[in-house]
Amino acid sequence: MQQLTFTEEIVLLALDDKTGAQLPLPVTALGYGLAGAVLADLAIAGKIDTDAQQLTLLDPSPTGDPLLDPWLALIAAEKNPRSVASWLSVLADRQQEIEQPALERLISRGILKRQDKKILWVIGLRRYPTVDGHERTEVRTRLGQLILGEDLPDPRDATLLSLLRGCRLTDNIFDGPEFSARDARLATLAKMDLVGREVSAATTEAIIALSVAMNAPVPHM
Amino acid sequence: MEITASVVNEIPVLTLRGRLDGLAAPAVEEKVAALLATGPQRMVFDCSGIEYASSAGLRVFLATAKKLKTVGGRCGFASLTPPLREIFGVSGFLDVLEIHDNLESATA
Repeated sequence: MQQLTFTEEIVLLALDDKTGAQLPLPVTALGYGLAGAVLADLAIAGKIDTDAQQLTLLDPSPTGDPLLDPWLALIAAEKNPRSVASWLSVLADRQQEIEQPALERLISRGILKRQDKKILWVIGLRRYPTVDGHERTEVRTRLGQLILGEDLPDPRDATLLSLLRGCRLTDNIFDGPEFSARDARLATLAKMDLVGREVSAATTEAIIALSVAMNAPVPHM
Repeated sequence: MEITASVVNEIPVLTLRGRLDGLAAPAVEEKVAALLATGPQRMVFDCSGIEYASSAGLRVFLATAKKLKTVGGRCGFASLTPPLREIFGVSGFLDVLEIHDNLESATA
């Protein structure tokens, strides 16, 4: 099977195994995670490069992937260089436009199925359970072994882990005492990708802003 | 970016000078691939001339270290310049990669 994009992997891993509902995440976290996934996909495709100061366009020609090309065109149309954080903010605001085509792609690949339900016969509820859970299990097993072991990650796995931790999905995906004991290792792995670090910073900022707005204590992060 | 291949104490060394960014990374990748195709158990990056490394550059380093580790080999990084050391620090690379103060210790 063709390798899933980071965008597809984040969408897939953000869904509950059994119900197909989106896992509980802090507000805006998935938006930033998907925005980061798009940037990571464009970087792997050799279209953009990043550093702590800015995102650089390397090649504006389309990738041929309709999940990515609208965002590459958006970046290419920008005259002034912008930081990764700035692009995350722009793309996170378009979360639905990133997420929906990725869900459709996962359905067409036979990985997810669409399930429509009614609550109280009126309220429509759409869920995306997996067909057999194989892909999600494979990713979780591979990344779980990386967290629990001492092996070096390849750049792709480092990026995926960094994105997952950045949008707080690792708390849902890798739960249990064996993973709690490896928090320092996960933190080290998650530092390895700049886009993932920026996703984490943006998510943290959003959580703090919301806590302040609601006059609630800032959660431990 | 200037890329020079040499052998020190029978260990292949790639010396990089200039900016290791998204434009230079493919050429470094190509050199690394050619070098790894010869089946070495060790290699060293001489980083004494690296002025800058972007995310694309860091990916080349991590991918090379991973490939060598997968076959039971080692990849050393010698003489990190201050900007590279800073990026390695932020990215956690100082904790997971084999860092050497100089080429002599990396090729010992």
